[in-house]
Amino acid sequence: MGISPNSAYIQGVAISVTWADAERSLPDLIFETVTGALSNAGAKMAEMDSVVLAAHDLVDGRSLSSMVTAPAAGAYMRDEIRLADDGLVAASLAAARIEAGESEFSVVAACGRASEGDFQRTSQTAFDPFMIQPLGLDEFSLSALRLSAWLQRHPGLEDSRRRAGQARARRAGSNGRALKSGGHAPNLWHPLRQEEAPCMADIVVAAILGPRPARVRIAGTGHSTDSSNVGDRDLLRMPSLAQAAERALSSASMQSRDIDLFELEGATLFDEAYALEVLGLAAPGQGFATYADGTGINPSGGGASGWCYPAMGLVRLAECYLQLTGQAQGVQVPGRLRAALATGFSPVGAQSHGAMVLVTA
Amino acid sequence: MRDPVAIIGVGQTTYRRRHVERNTAELVRDAVEAALTDAQIDSDAIGVIVGGVAPDALAGINHIDMASISRPGVPYFRVNTGGATGSSAFLAAMSWIASGRCDVALVVAVERMGYATTAQAVFNSIFDPIYEKDISISTISMIAMRATMLMQEYGYTTDHWASLAAKNSLASQNNDTLENPRLFDKAQVLASPILSWPIRTLEACPMSEGVCVAVLASEKFVGARRAAWVLGTGAFSDAYAMGDRIRRPEGSLVELLTLRRSAEKAYREAGIANPSEVIDCVEIQAPFASAEAMAYSALGLCEAKNGPAFLDRLLEGRTRALVNPSGGPQAANPVSATALIRIVECALQVRGLAGKRQLDGVRHAVATGQGGATQFSTAVVLGSNRP
Repeated sequence: MGISPNSAYIQGVAISVTWADAERSLPDLIFETVTGALSNAGAKMAEMDSVVLAAHDLVDGRSLSSMVTAPAAGAYMRDEIRLADDGLVAASLAAARIEAGESEFSVVAACGRASEGDFQRTSQTAFDPFMIQPLGLDEFSLSALRLSAWLQRHPGLEDSRRRAGQARARRAGSNGRALKSGGHAPNLWHPLRQEEAPCMADIVVAAILGPRPARVRIAGTGHSTDSSNVGDRDLLRMPSLAQAAERALSSASMQSRDIDLFELEGATLFDEAYALEVLGLAAPGQGFATYADGTGINPSGGGASGWCYPAMGLVRLAECYLQLTGQAQGVQVPGRLRAALATGFSPVGAQSHGAMVLVTA
Repeated sequence: MRDPVAIIGVGQTTYRRRHVERNTAELVRDAVEAALTDAQIDSDAIGVIVGGVAPDALAGINHIDMASISRPGVPYFRVNTGGATGSSAFLAAMSWIASGRCDVALVVAVERMGYATTAQAVFNSIFDPIYEKDISISTISMIAMRATMLMQEYGYTTDHWASLAAKNSLASQNNDTLENPRLFDKAQVLASPILSWPIRTLEACPMSEGVCVAVLASEKFVGARRAAWVLGTGAFSDAYAMGDRIRRPEGSLVELLTLRRSAEKAYREAGIANPSEVIDCVEIQAPFASAEAMAYSALGLCEAKNGPAFLDRLLEGRTRALVNPSGGPQAANPVSATALIRIVECALQVRGLAGKRQLDGVRHAVATGQGGATQFSTAVVLGSNRP
């Protein structure tokens, strides 16, 4: 595929995963992380002409959270927009602005501070207040329903499930960016197990995007949406995830076999592993086994390293960037990596998905 | 510079305090169907949907957009920049098209604040929790402080605010998107109760619900459709604390620095050197009369010190540009949608489809968006001719 003269490149990233840091406010964390991304990119704030944020008011506890998060991300007297959506979508919009020639260099930042709010309660309020909310559904219970349906089709795979959990925990333990203390696991429905939960954390992630050829190019993006009504969905088909990845690969003129590394977002271990089946990277029933044994699959440790909506899609993307540039440290995948695919999702119950293909330039 | 993008269709529900007989998805469907009909396309042509919903707390449901706006199989994302949400969503959709990802984008902005019994408490939580929230500052008292500053700095009077509110009330009578628009004169405004001095009840925007939709298309898709071409855009973000913006070398709180820069960029892209001699129609996202007056100089329609004189001429109908022929947000202000409504009203004007509120010979129009205690500003210049 030819490289567009207006291709967007990732110039640098930074990830901050903490818990209830009494010394630093959310704007402090954002400022430090954006500063870290600029440093990683070898860039200065003066070069940036736009800011794209992903933040959610109810997660941040304000009626318009970008009023405080935008200045901390360097938005003063710059073109700034905030998405109430996943961080990967924010990166996608920033890339679109660069591809369109509307922006030169853009700061993309996403944040979620789980220590100051109850994400699970916030998640519940996104469901229909009359028919669904009384049932207590949230992002994680939908994952439990999905796993329950999967187990009916694929019984007797306890060993691979256990190994996948161990692999995820081991990778998170090796990830220097993972939460080291604090955090908590949300309450999970049967048949999910607590060790399959995400580790709720305070997460800020930032990336610097620009048209200047750098080591990593955004080769393709894809997005799609599922039905909002949970009852209308085939929980095991996850069409929005499949379509988003297909579109990202198609726009990059690539196929999944061309990808060396995957960072797949999921609310739980099962969702991370099951994404492999949805994307055709694992045979039906083999998601856990592929997750456990694969070397280029969520080497970051996924949600076990820290989790809070709406930062996670951008975390997955940043982890891909670090891998492709050899900066992933304790979880660096050996060998030459040329292409990576990251995914992210938005409420309600992973109704919409985004995917992005990165290639080394 | 991006390739040209145009508005080829618009749709609006009526705007009123509370839509009791329609749920949100039904309101969205009404407005979307109207927009698709106006654009002469069916839904299969849509390459992306951008939702605009501001504070979730106003609607009482988190992510009300996912069940009401998004469509299976179609890329969807949501923008929230407070009062500028609608125009910010519009700009995001433009970027999507201009990058070549699709040819047609649907922008849908929704407001369901009619059932909120605590709207001002919701707005209070946009302010700093330590220094500002406890003094019960709200969007009304926030604007009142700006109004007093305008009066002190430039000589505006309470008569100005009342006269402007009455003018917008009169204009709103021609707007068929308003159900039972309020009609009052200057004396009635001055006799209405004070909300927060100098703002009186009849000067303030009403609580409003409704849905506004715009269909954007790439140049190659527009074809022979009657289009409103996007000639220029701008968006800038300011400091959070209002205290940091009161007096500074770049421009004071009431000089609306971000709107000025947004407008300058939009005019520059549109090739407009002297807006006061080119712009025919202005739609200002100003929920109060003083907020509208505050924008005149930022938009280049006059110098700040001449603002009261410009307003006098505007009230007498002696300015080239006519401001808020729809009645503006003082007639209806559905927060999430109001900045998109300004763009859509300008699009109707340059397309010559504004019905009873149509102005004569509109070739250039500018629409503004303001969000987050005037922290976020946008400006969009539309024209009747392909750039």
